[in-house]
Amino acid sequence: MTSRLAIFAARALLVGCVLLIWEMLPRLGFVADDLLPPFSQVVSLLLQLLARPQFQMDIATTALEIVTAFAIAVPLGAICGLLIAESPYAARVFDPLLFFLFSIPKSIFLPMFILTLGIGFWQKVGFGCFSTTLLVLLSTQAAVRSVRPDHLLVARSYGATPMQVIARVYLPSMLPIVLEALRLALIFTFTAVTLAEMYASRTGVGHRIETWGENFMMPQLLAGVLLMSTTAIVLNEGIRWLEHRCGAWRT
Amino acid sequence: MDAPVVRTRVGGPGSIQVQNLSHVYVGRDGASPALADIDFAVEPGRFVVLVGPSGCGKTSLLMMLAGLREHSGGTILCDGRAVTGPDPDRLGVVFQEANLFPWLSAVDNVAFPLTLRRVKVAERRRRAQEMLRLVRLEEFGRRYPHELSGGMRQRVSIARGLVQDPPVLLMDEPFAALDEQTRMSMGDELLRIWSETRKTVVFVTHSLTEAVYLADEVIVMSARPGRIIERIEVDLPRPRRYETMSDPRFIALRDRIWRHIRAERA
Repeated sequence: MTSRLAIFAARALLVGCVLLIWEMLPRLGFVADDLLPPFSQVVSLLLQLLARPQFQMDIATTALEIVTAFAIAVPLGAICGLLIAESPYAARVFDPLLFFLFSIPKSIFLPMFILTLGIGFWQKVGFGCFSTTLLVLLSTQAAVRSVRPDHLLVARSYGATPMQVIARVYLPSMLPIVLEALRLALIFTFTAVTLAEMYASRTGVGHRIETWGENFMMPQLLAGVLLMSTTAIVLNEGIRWLEHRCGAWRT
Repeated sequence: MDAPVVRTRVGGPGSIQVQNLSHVYVGRDGASPALADIDFAVEPGRFVVLVGPSGCGKTSLLMMLAGLREHSGGTILCDGRAVTGPDPDRLGVVFQEANLFPWLSAVDNVAFPLTLRRVKVAERRRRAQEMLRLVRLEEFGRRYPHELSGGMRQRVSIARGLVQDPPVLLMDEPFAALDEQTRMSMGDELLRIWSETRKTVVFVTHSLTEAVYLADEVIVMSARPGRIIERIEVDLPRPRRYETMSDPRFIALRDRIWRHIRAERA
Protein backbone atom coordinates (compact mmCIF):
# COMPACT_ATOMS: atom_id res chain seq x y z
CA MET A 1 0.00 0.00 0.00
CA THR A 2 2.83 2.39 0.85
CA SER A 3 4.41 1.73 -2.52
CA ARG A 4 1.16 2.60 -4.28
CA LEU A 5 0.97 5.81 -2.31
CA ALA A 6 4.62 6.54 -3.07
CA ILE A 7 4.03 6.07 -6.79
CA PHE A 8 1.01 8.37 -6.65
CA ALA A 9 3.12 10.97 -4.84
CA ALA A 10 5.90 10.65 -7.43
CA ARG A 11 3.41 11.19 -10.24
CA ALA A 12 1.91 14.25 -8.56
CA LEU A 13 5.39 15.60 -7.98
CA LEU A 14 6.30 15.13 -11.63
CA VAL A 15 3.18 16.95 -12.87
CA GLY A 16 3.82 19.67 -10.27
CA CYS A 17 7.39 20.08 -11.51
CA VAL A 18 6.33 20.43 -15.14
CA LEU A 19 3.76 23.08 -14.20
CA LEU A 20 6.31 24.83 -12.01
CA ILE A 21 8.84 24.92 -14.85
CA TRP A 22 6.10 26.29 -17.13
CA GLU A 23 5.42 28.98 -14.51
CA MET A 24 9.06 29.87 -13.89
CA LEU A 25 10.52 29.87 -17.43
CA PRO A 26 8.74 33.09 -18.53
CA ARG A 27 8.89 34.66 -15.05
CA LEU A 28 12.66 34.26 -14.84
CA GLY A 29 13.04 35.59 -18.35
CA PHE A 30 14.30 32.38 -20.02
CA VAL A 31 11.38 32.47 -22.47
CA ALA A 32 9.53 35.53 -23.72
CA ASP A 33 6.06 35.60 -22.16
CA ASP A 34 4.49 36.42 -25.56
CA LEU A 35 5.62 32.95 -26.53
CA LEU A 36 4.91 31.15 -23.27
CA PRO A 37 2.77 33.00 -20.74
CA PRO A 38 3.07 31.66 -17.17
CA PHE A 39 0.78 28.81 -16.13
CA SER A 40 -1.06 30.87 -13.49
CA GLN A 41 -1.85 33.56 -16.04
CA VAL A 42 -3.27 30.96 -18.47
CA VAL A 43 -5.44 29.46 -15.74
CA SER A 44 -6.86 32.81 -14.67
CA LEU A 45 -7.54 33.69 -18.32
CA LEU A 46 -9.31 30.36 -18.79
CA LEU A 47 -11.54 31.14 -15.80
CA GLN A 48 -12.38 34.53 -17.30
CA LEU A 49 -13.12 32.94 -20.68
CA LEU A 50 -15.39 30.38 -19.07
CA ALA A 51 -17.45 33.22 -17.60
CA ARG A 52 -18.07 34.81 -21.03
CA PRO A 53 -21.42 33.96 -22.67
CA GLN A 54 -19.85 33.80 -26.13
CA PHE A 55 -17.28 31.20 -25.08
CA GLN A 56 -19.98 29.26 -23.26
CA MET A 57 -21.89 29.15 -26.55
CA ASP A 58 -18.78 27.76 -28.25
CA ILE A 59 -18.47 25.05 -25.63
CA ALA A 60 -22.16 24.20 -25.96
CA THR A 61 -21.85 23.97 -29.75
CA THR A 62 -18.82 21.68 -29.63
CA ALA A 63 -20.39 19.52 -26.91
CA LEU A 64 -23.62 19.16 -28.86
CA GLU A 65 -21.71 18.20 -32.02
CA ILE A 66 -19.73 15.57 -30.15
CA VAL A 67 -22.77 14.13 -28.37
CA THR A 68 -24.81 14.00 -31.59
CA ALA A 69 -22.02 12.37 -33.59
CA PHE A 70 -21.42 9.87 -30.77
CA ALA A 71 -25.13 9.11 -30.44
CA ILE A 72 -25.39 8.31 -34.15
CA ALA A 73 -22.05 6.54 -34.61
CA VAL A 74 -22.27 4.13 -31.65
CA PRO A 75 -25.64 2.47 -32.42
CA LEU A 76 -24.89 2.52 -36.15
CA GLY A 77 -21.49 0.90 -35.72
CA ALA A 78 -22.78 -1.55 -33.11
CA ILE A 79 -25.70 -2.75 -35.26
CA CYS A 80 -23.56 -3.15 -38.39
CA GLY A 81 -20.89 -4.91 -36.30
CA LEU A 82 -23.45 -7.32 -34.81
CA LEU A 83 -24.94 -8.11 -38.23
CA ILE A 84 -21.53 -8.78 -39.76
CA ALA A 85 -20.30 -10.83 -36.78
CA GLU A 86 -23.44 -12.99 -36.88
CA SER A 87 -22.94 -13.97 -40.52
CA PRO A 88 -19.72 -15.78 -41.48
CA TYR A 89 -20.43 -14.93 -45.13
CA ALA A 90 -20.75 -11.19 -44.46
CA ALA A 91 -17.63 -11.28 -42.28
CA ARG A 92 -15.60 -12.84 -45.07
CA VAL A 93 -16.83 -10.28 -47.60
CA PHE A 94 -16.58 -7.16 -45.45
CA ASP A 95 -13.65 -7.76 -43.09
CA PRO A 96 -10.73 -6.97 -45.43
CA LEU A 97 -12.55 -3.96 -46.90
CA LEU A 98 -13.26 -2.61 -43.42
CA PHE A 99 -9.64 -3.00 -42.47
CA PHE A 100 -8.58 -1.11 -45.62
CA LEU A 101 -10.94 1.70 -44.70
CA PHE A 102 -9.79 1.71 -41.11
CA SER A 103 -6.17 2.20 -42.12
CA ILE A 104 -6.87 5.38 -44.14
CA PRO A 105 -6.40 8.64 -42.19
CA LYS A 106 -9.92 10.04 -41.93
CA SER A 107 -8.76 13.67 -42.05
CA ILE A 108 -8.11 13.52 -45.82
CA PHE A 109 -11.86 13.21 -46.34
CA LEU A 110 -12.62 16.41 -44.46
CA PRO A 111 -12.72 18.64 -47.59
CA MET A 112 -15.37 16.37 -49.11
CA PHE A 113 -17.52 16.78 -46.02
CA ILE A 114 -17.24 20.55 -46.40
CA LEU A 115 -18.17 20.36 -50.08
CA THR A 116 -21.25 18.26 -49.37
CA LEU A 117 -22.40 19.46 -45.95
CA GLY A 118 -21.07 23.01 -45.76
CA ILE A 119 -19.28 24.30 -42.68
CA GLY A 120 -22.15 24.11 -40.19
CA PHE A 121 -23.30 21.75 -37.45
CA TRP A 122 -24.00 18.70 -39.64
CA GLN A 123 -20.62 18.81 -41.29
CA LYS A 124 -18.99 18.40 -37.84
CA VAL A 125 -21.46 15.68 -36.88
CA GLY A 126 -21.04 13.95 -40.23
CA PHE A 127 -17.27 13.91 -40.04
CA GLY A 128 -17.37 12.85 -36.36
CA CYS A 129 -19.66 9.92 -37.22
CA PHE A 130 -17.56 8.93 -40.18
CA SER A 131 -14.42 8.81 -38.07
CA THR A 132 -16.02 6.82 -35.25
CA THR A 133 -18.50 4.37 -36.78
CA LEU A 134 -15.86 2.10 -38.24
CA LEU A 135 -14.06 1.83 -34.92
CA VAL A 136 -17.29 0.92 -33.11
CA LEU A 137 -18.13 -1.58 -35.85
CA LEU A 138 -14.79 -3.37 -35.60
CA SER A 139 -14.87 -3.35 -31.79
CA THR A 140 -18.39 -4.78 -31.74
CA GLN A 141 -17.28 -7.60 -33.99
CA ALA A 142 -14.36 -8.27 -31.67
CA ALA A 143 -16.72 -8.21 -28.67
CA VAL A 144 -19.08 -10.74 -30.25
CA ARG A 145 -16.15 -12.98 -31.13
CA SER A 146 -14.86 -12.78 -27.57
CA VAL A 147 -17.93 -14.75 -26.41
CA ARG A 148 -16.63 -18.26 -25.82
CA PRO A 149 -18.57 -21.10 -27.46
CA ASP A 150 -18.09 -23.31 -24.39
CA HIS A 151 -19.83 -20.69 -22.24
CA LEU A 152 -22.76 -20.80 -24.65
CA LEU A 153 -22.74 -24.60 -24.40
CA VAL A 154 -22.89 -24.43 -20.59
CA ALA A 155 -25.84 -22.03 -20.75
CA ARG A 156 -27.59 -24.29 -23.23
CA SER A 157 -26.97 -27.41 -21.14
CA TYR A 158 -28.78 -25.72 -18.24
CA GLY A 159 -31.73 -24.93 -20.47
CA ALA A 160 -31.17 -21.19 -21.04
CA THR A 161 -33.65 -19.52 -23.40
CA PRO A 162 -32.24 -17.40 -26.26
CA MET A 163 -33.04 -14.22 -24.28
CA GLN A 164 -31.25 -15.63 -21.22
CA VAL A 165 -28.24 -16.51 -23.37
CA ILE A 166 -28.07 -12.90 -24.55
CA ALA A 167 -28.58 -11.39 -21.11
CA ARG A 168 -26.46 -13.79 -19.08
CA VAL A 169 -23.68 -14.81 -21.48
CA TYR A 170 -23.37 -12.43 -24.43
CA LEU A 171 -23.72 -9.14 -22.54
CA PRO A 172 -21.40 -9.87 -19.61
CA SER A 173 -18.79 -11.39 -21.98
CA MET A 174 -18.92 -8.37 -24.26
CA LEU A 175 -19.18 -5.63 -21.64
CA PRO A 176 -15.45 -4.95 -21.07
CA ILE A 177 -14.68 -4.71 -24.79
CA VAL A 178 -17.80 -2.62 -25.39
CA LEU A 179 -16.79 -0.15 -22.68
CA GLU A 180 -13.31 0.08 -24.10
CA ALA A 181 -14.82 0.71 -27.54
CA LEU A 182 -17.05 3.46 -26.12
CA ARG A 183 -14.05 5.13 -24.57
CA LEU A 184 -12.07 5.08 -27.81
CA ALA A 185 -15.15 6.15 -29.75
CA LEU A 186 -15.56 9.18 -27.53
CA ILE A 187 -11.93 10.18 -28.08
CA PHE A 188 -12.23 9.63 -31.85
CA THR A 189 -15.38 11.76 -32.00
CA PHE A 190 -13.78 14.44 -29.88
CA THR A 191 -10.74 14.56 -32.16
CA ALA A 192 -12.76 14.55 -35.38
CA VAL A 193 -15.17 17.29 -34.31
CA THR A 194 -12.39 19.54 -33.03
CA LEU A 195 -10.41 19.00 -36.21
CA ALA A 196 -13.42 19.84 -38.37
CA GLU A 197 -13.98 23.01 -36.34
CA MET A 198 -10.37 24.06 -36.71
CA TYR A 199 -10.39 23.40 -40.45
CA ALA A 200 -13.45 25.45 -41.37
CA SER A 201 -16.04 26.80 -39.00
CA ARG A 202 -17.62 29.91 -37.53
CA THR A 203 -18.30 28.47 -34.07
CA GLY A 204 -17.00 25.99 -31.54
CA VAL A 205 -13.98 25.66 -29.26
CA GLY A 206 -11.90 24.21 -32.09
CA HIS A 207 -12.62 27.27 -34.19
CA ARG A 208 -11.61 29.58 -31.28
CA ILE A 209 -8.34 27.73 -30.78
CA GLU A 210 -7.59 27.96 -34.47
CA THR A 211 -8.30 31.73 -34.53
CA TRP A 212 -6.17 32.37 -31.44
CA GLY A 213 -3.32 30.47 -33.04
CA GLU A 214 -3.61 32.40 -36.31
CA ASN A 215 -3.54 35.69 -34.41
CA PHE A 216 -0.72 34.68 -32.12
CA MET A 217 -2.82 35.02 -28.98
CA MET A 218 -0.75 32.65 -26.88
CA PRO A 219 -2.52 32.99 -23.49
CA GLN A 220 -5.94 32.28 -25.09
CA LEU A 221 -4.52 29.48 -27.22
CA LEU A 222 -2.96 27.77 -24.20
CA ALA A 223 -6.15 28.27 -22.18
CA GLY A 224 -8.06 26.49 -24.94
CA VAL A 225 -5.52 23.67 -25.05
CA LEU A 226 -5.73 23.33 -21.27
CA LEU A 227 -9.54 23.15 -21.38
CA MET A 228 -9.66 20.53 -24.15
CA SER A 229 -6.93 18.41 -22.56
CA THR A 230 -8.61 18.41 -19.17
CA THR A 231 -11.99 17.53 -20.66
CA ALA A 232 -10.55 14.66 -22.70
CA ILE A 233 -8.66 13.26 -19.71
CA VAL A 234 -11.72 13.43 -17.43
CA LEU A 235 -13.95 11.68 -20.00
CA ASN A 236 -11.37 9.01 -20.71
CA GLU A 237 -10.65 8.28 -17.06
CA GLY A 238 -14.37 8.22 -16.22
CA ILE A 239 -15.00 5.39 -18.68
CA ARG A 240 -11.78 3.65 -17.72
CA TRP A 241 -12.96 3.59 -14.12
CA LEU A 242 -16.21 1.95 -15.27
CA GLU A 243 -14.25 -0.55 -17.36
CA HIS A 244 -12.19 -1.45 -14.35
CA ARG A 245 -15.27 -1.96 -12.18
CA CYS A 246 -17.06 -4.13 -14.75
CA GLY A 247 -14.09 -6.08 -16.02
CA ALA A 248 -12.02 -7.01 -12.99
CA TRP A 249 -12.41 -10.67 -13.98
CA ARG A 250 -10.63 -10.10 -17.28
CA THR A 251 -7.13 -10.16 -15.82
CA MET B 1 -46.31 -53.26 -14.75
CA ASP B 2 -46.09 -56.97 -14.07
CA ALA B 3 -42.76 -56.70 -12.34
CA PRO B 4 -42.69 -53.23 -10.78
CA VAL B 5 -39.53 -53.78 -8.75
CA VAL B 6 -37.47 -54.57 -11.82
CA ARG B 7 -39.09 -51.79 -13.85
CA THR B 8 -38.23 -49.08 -11.35
CA ARG B 9 -34.60 -50.10 -11.49
CA VAL B 10 -34.44 -50.07 -15.27
CA GLY B 11 -36.77 -47.14 -16.09
CA GLY B 12 -36.74 -45.25 -12.78
CA PRO B 13 -35.07 -42.01 -11.76
CA GLY B 14 -31.41 -41.98 -12.67
CA SER B 15 -31.62 -44.81 -15.16
CA ILE B 16 -30.28 -44.46 -18.67
CA GLN B 17 -31.08 -46.64 -21.65
CA VAL B 18 -29.35 -46.20 -24.99
CA GLN B 19 -30.99 -48.26 -27.70
CA ASN B 20 -29.47 -48.91 -31.09
CA LEU B 21 -27.95 -45.45 -31.22
CA SER B 22 -26.12 -44.39 -34.36
CA HIS B 23 -24.84 -41.18 -35.80
CA VAL B 24 -23.70 -40.19 -39.26
CA TYR B 25 -21.59 -37.09 -39.42
CA VAL B 26 -22.24 -35.00 -42.50
CA GLY B 27 -19.31 -32.74 -43.26
CA ARG B 28 -17.76 -31.03 -46.25
CA ASP B 29 -16.34 -34.31 -47.61
CA GLY B 30 -19.70 -36.07 -47.44
CA ALA B 31 -21.22 -38.36 -44.85
CA SER B 32 -19.20 -40.59 -42.54
CA PRO B 33 -20.50 -42.85 -39.78
CA ALA B 34 -19.41 -41.61 -36.33
CA LEU B 35 -21.26 -43.94 -33.96
CA ALA B 36 -22.88 -47.31 -34.69
CA ASP B 37 -24.97 -49.87 -32.79
CA ILE B 38 -24.55 -48.30 -29.38
CA ASP B 39 -26.67 -50.26 -26.93
CA PHE B 40 -26.38 -50.14 -23.17
CA ALA B 41 -28.33 -49.46 -20.02
CA VAL B 42 -27.19 -47.90 -16.77
CA GLU B 43 -28.95 -48.70 -13.54
CA PRO B 44 -29.63 -45.86 -11.09
CA GLY B 45 -26.69 -44.98 -8.87
CA ARG B 46 -24.06 -46.71 -10.98
CA PHE B 47 -20.74 -45.21 -11.98
CA VAL B 48 -20.08 -45.93 -15.65
CA VAL B 49 -16.96 -44.85 -17.49
CA LEU B 50 -16.61 -44.54 -21.27
CA VAL B 51 -13.13 -45.09 -22.73
CA GLY B 52 -11.84 -45.50 -26.26
CA PRO B 53 -9.20 -44.28 -28.68
CA SER B 54 -9.11 -40.57 -29.52
CA GLY B 55 -11.82 -39.54 -31.92
CA CYS B 56 -14.01 -42.60 -31.23
CA GLY B 57 -16.98 -40.42 -30.42
CA LYS B 58 -17.16 -40.89 -26.66
CA THR B 59 -17.55 -37.16 -26.03
CA SER B 60 -20.12 -36.98 -28.83
CA LEU B 61 -22.01 -39.82 -27.18
CA LEU B 62 -21.98 -38.00 -23.85
CA MET B 63 -23.20 -34.78 -25.49
CA MET B 64 -26.04 -36.79 -27.05
CA LEU B 65 -26.95 -38.17 -23.62
CA ALA B 66 -27.00 -34.55 -22.40
CA GLY B 67 -29.36 -33.59 -25.23
CA LEU B 68 -26.77 -31.13 -26.54
CA ARG B 69 -26.12 -32.87 -29.84
CA GLU B 70 -28.32 -34.51 -32.44
CA HIS B 71 -28.06 -38.20 -33.27
CA SER B 72 -29.16 -39.86 -36.51
CA GLY B 73 -30.80 -43.02 -35.22
CA GLY B 74 -31.90 -44.93 -32.14
CA THR B 75 -33.21 -43.64 -28.83
CA ILE B 76 -31.85 -42.36 -25.56
CA LEU B 77 -34.04 -42.73 -22.49
CA CYS B 78 -33.44 -41.22 -19.10
CA ASP B 79 -35.88 -42.08 -16.29
CA GLY B 80 -37.69 -44.03 -19.00
CA ARG B 81 -38.41 -40.89 -21.04
CA ALA B 82 -36.70 -39.87 -24.29
CA VAL B 83 -33.98 -37.23 -24.15
CA THR B 84 -34.75 -34.70 -26.87
CA GLY B 85 -32.87 -31.65 -25.62
CA PRO B 86 -31.06 -30.28 -22.59
CA ASP B 87 -33.00 -31.18 -19.44
CA PRO B 88 -31.21 -29.96 -16.31
CA ASP B 89 -33.85 -31.60 -14.07
CA ARG B 90 -32.74 -35.03 -15.22
CA LEU B 91 -29.15 -34.52 -16.37
CA GLY B 92 -26.38 -32.34 -14.97
CA VAL B 93 -23.30 -31.83 -17.14
CA VAL B 94 -19.69 -31.19 -16.10
CA PHE B 95 -17.38 -30.14 -18.92
CA GLN B 96 -13.70 -30.74 -19.58
CA GLU B 97 -12.54 -27.23 -18.78
CA ALA B 98 -14.52 -26.15 -15.73
CA ASN B 99 -16.17 -23.56 -17.99
CA LEU B 100 -17.13 -21.26 -15.17
CA PHE B 101 -18.29 -17.76 -16.05
CA PRO B 102 -15.34 -15.51 -15.13
CA TRP B 103 -17.63 -12.56 -14.29
CA LEU B 104 -19.51 -14.51 -11.59
CA SER B 105 -18.25 -15.47 -8.13
CA ALA B 106 -18.02 -19.17 -7.26
CA VAL B 107 -21.35 -19.17 -5.44
CA ASP B 108 -23.09 -17.36 -8.32
CA ASN B 109 -21.58 -19.82 -10.78
CA VAL B 110 -23.01 -22.70 -8.77
CA ALA B 111 -26.36 -20.90 -8.60
CA PHE B 112 -26.38 -20.15 -12.35
CA PRO B 113 -28.79 -22.98 -13.30
CA LEU B 114 -31.16 -21.79 -10.55
CA THR B 115 -30.91 -18.21 -11.82
CA LEU B 116 -32.15 -19.42 -15.21
CA ARG B 117 -35.12 -20.98 -13.40
CA ARG B 118 -35.82 -17.68 -11.60
CA VAL B 119 -35.43 -19.27 -8.17
CA LYS B 120 -35.54 -16.58 -5.44
CA VAL B 121 -32.16 -15.10 -4.47
CA ALA B 122 -32.16 -16.35 -0.87
CA GLU B 123 -33.11 -19.89 -1.87
CA ARG B 124 -30.55 -19.83 -4.67
CA ARG B 125 -27.76 -18.73 -2.35
CA ARG B 126 -28.72 -21.32 0.25
CA ARG B 127 -28.69 -24.21 -2.22
CA ALA B 128 -25.49 -23.02 -3.90
CA GLN B 129 -23.79 -22.71 -0.53
CA GLU B 130 -24.95 -26.22 0.38
CA MET B 131 -23.39 -27.56 -2.82
CA LEU B 132 -20.15 -25.69 -2.12
CA ARG B 133 -20.11 -27.39 1.27
CA LEU B 134 -20.53 -30.76 -0.46
CA VAL B 135 -17.43 -30.10 -2.58
CA ARG B 136 -15.65 -28.63 0.47
CA LEU B 137 -15.38 -25.09 -0.87
CA GLU B 138 -17.79 -23.35 1.52
CA GLU B 139 -15.08 -20.82 2.39
CA PHE B 140 -14.50 -19.85 -1.24
CA GLY B 141 -17.97 -18.82 -2.43
CA ARG B 142 -17.08 -15.16 -2.88
CA ARG B 143 -13.93 -15.84 -4.89
CA TYR B 144 -13.89 -15.39 -8.65
CA PRO B 145 -12.75 -18.23 -10.94
CA HIS B 146 -9.37 -16.59 -11.65
CA GLU B 147 -8.73 -16.60 -7.90
CA LEU B 148 -9.22 -20.40 -7.66
CA SER B 149 -6.88 -23.27 -8.57
CA GLY B 150 -7.70 -25.64 -11.43
CA GLY B 151 -8.93 -28.35 -9.06
CA MET B 152 -11.09 -25.89 -7.13
CA ARG B 153 -12.62 -24.60 -10.34
CA GLN B 154 -13.54 -28.13 -11.36
CA ARG B 155 -15.12 -28.73 -7.93
CA VAL B 156 -17.20 -25.57 -8.39
CA SER B 157 -18.22 -26.95 -11.77
CA ILE B 158 -19.30 -30.26 -10.15
CA ALA B 159 -21.28 -28.28 -7.56
CA ARG B 160 -22.99 -26.42 -10.40
CA GLY B 161 -23.84 -29.74 -12.08
CA LEU B 162 -25.44 -31.00 -8.87
CA VAL B 163 -27.27 -27.85 -7.73
CA GLN B 164 -30.57 -28.80 -9.34
CA ASP B 165 -30.28 -32.27 -7.83
CA PRO B 166 -30.54 -34.17 -11.13
CA PRO B 167 -30.41 -37.96 -10.72
CA VAL B 168 -27.73 -38.24 -13.43
CA LEU B 169 -24.36 -36.51 -13.72
CA LEU B 170 -22.61 -36.56 -17.10
CA MET B 171 -18.90 -35.76 -16.97
CA ASP B 172 -16.76 -35.09 -20.03
CA GLU B 173 -13.08 -35.64 -19.15
CA PRO B 174 -13.49 -33.34 -16.17
CA PHE B 175 -9.97 -33.86 -14.82
CA ALA B 176 -8.07 -33.96 -18.13
CA ALA B 177 -6.67 -30.44 -17.73
CA LEU B 178 -5.40 -31.02 -14.18
CA ASP B 179 -1.95 -32.14 -13.06
CA GLU B 180 -1.58 -35.74 -11.92
CA GLN B 181 -1.62 -35.10 -8.17
CA THR B 182 -4.68 -32.89 -8.34
CA ARG B 183 -6.26 -35.41 -10.65
CA MET B 184 -5.81 -38.28 -8.19
CA SER B 185 -7.24 -36.37 -5.26
CA MET B 186 -10.12 -35.14 -7.43
CA GLY B 187 -10.90 -38.79 -8.23
CA ASP B 188 -11.21 -39.58 -4.52
CA GLU B 189 -13.21 -36.40 -4.01
CA LEU B 190 -15.62 -37.39 -6.77
CA LEU B 191 -16.05 -40.89 -5.31
CA ARG B 192 -16.85 -39.35 -1.91
CA ILE B 193 -19.43 -36.96 -3.46
CA TRP B 194 -20.88 -39.85 -5.45
CA SER B 195 -21.19 -42.05 -2.38
CA GLU B 196 -22.93 -39.21 -0.50
CA THR B 197 -25.36 -38.33 -3.29
CA ARG B 198 -25.79 -41.72 -5.02
CA LYS B 199 -26.12 -40.11 -8.44
CA THR B 200 -25.85 -42.10 -11.62
CA VAL B 201 -22.56 -41.00 -13.20
CA VAL B 202 -21.48 -41.37 -16.81
CA PHE B 203 -17.85 -40.33 -17.06
CA VAL B 204 -15.66 -39.97 -20.17
CA THR B 205 -11.89 -40.24 -19.83
CA HIS B 206 -8.68 -40.98 -21.70
CA SER B 207 -7.00 -42.37 -18.60
CA LEU B 208 -7.37 -46.12 -18.17
CA THR B 209 -6.17 -45.97 -14.55
CA GLU B 210 -8.78 -43.35 -13.77
CA ALA B 211 -11.42 -45.43 -15.54
CA VAL B 212 -10.80 -48.59 -13.52
CA TYR B 213 -10.30 -46.67 -10.28
CA LEU B 214 -13.65 -44.88 -10.50
CA ALA B 215 -15.96 -47.26 -12.32
CA ASP B 216 -18.54 -49.90 -11.52
CA GLU B 217 -18.46 -50.62 -15.22
CA VAL B 218 -16.14 -49.56 -18.03
CA ILE B 219 -17.55 -49.35 -21.54
CA VAL B 220 -14.75 -49.73 -24.10
CA MET B 221 -15.39 -48.19 -27.49
CA SER B 222 -13.76 -48.89 -30.85
CA ALA B 223 -12.13 -46.41 -33.23
CA ARG B 224 -14.41 -44.45 -35.51
CA PRO B 225 -17.17 -45.31 -36.18
CA GLY B 226 -17.47 -45.85 -32.44
CA ARG B 227 -19.01 -49.14 -31.36
CA ILE B 228 -19.03 -50.85 -28.00
CA ILE B 229 -16.26 -53.48 -27.94
CA GLU B 230 -16.78 -54.69 -24.41
CA ARG B 231 -18.56 -53.73 -21.23
CA ILE B 232 -16.30 -54.62 -18.33
CA GLU B 233 -17.66 -55.03 -14.83
CA VAL B 234 -15.22 -53.64 -12.24
CA ASP B 235 -15.89 -55.65 -9.09
CA LEU B 236 -13.11 -54.17 -6.99
CA PRO B 237 -14.20 -53.41 -3.42
CA ARG B 238 -15.16 -49.89 -2.34
CA PRO B 239 -14.10 -47.53 -0.92
CA ARG B 240 -11.16 -47.60 -3.26
CA ARG B 241 -7.79 -46.36 -2.11
CA TYR B 242 -4.40 -45.65 -3.56
CA GLU B 243 -3.40 -49.28 -2.79
CA THR B 244 -6.27 -50.52 -4.97
CA MET B 245 -4.22 -49.50 -7.98
CA SER B 246 -1.57 -52.11 -7.20
CA ASP B 247 -4.15 -54.90 -6.69
CA PRO B 248 -3.48 -57.60 -9.33
CA ARG B 249 -7.17 -57.54 -10.32
CA PHE B 250 -6.93 -53.78 -10.95
CA ILE B 251 -3.89 -54.28 -13.16
CA ALA B 252 -5.52 -57.14 -15.01
CA LEU B 253 -8.60 -55.02 -15.78
CA ARG B 254 -6.51 -52.10 -16.98
CA ASP B 255 -4.43 -54.40 -19.22
CA ARG B 256 -7.55 -55.87 -20.71
CA ILE B 257 -8.87 -52.42 -21.63
CA TRP B 258 -5.48 -51.39 -22.99
CA ARG B 259 -5.28 -54.48 -25.23
CA HIS B 260 -8.65 -53.53 -26.77
CA ILE B 261 -7.60 -49.96 -27.36
CA ARG B 262 -4.14 -50.86 -28.66
CA ALA B 263 -5.76 -53.16 -31.22
CA GLU B 264 -8.01 -50.30 -32.29
CA ARG B 265 -5.12 -47.87 -32.59
CA ALA B 266 -3.07 -50.16 -34.82
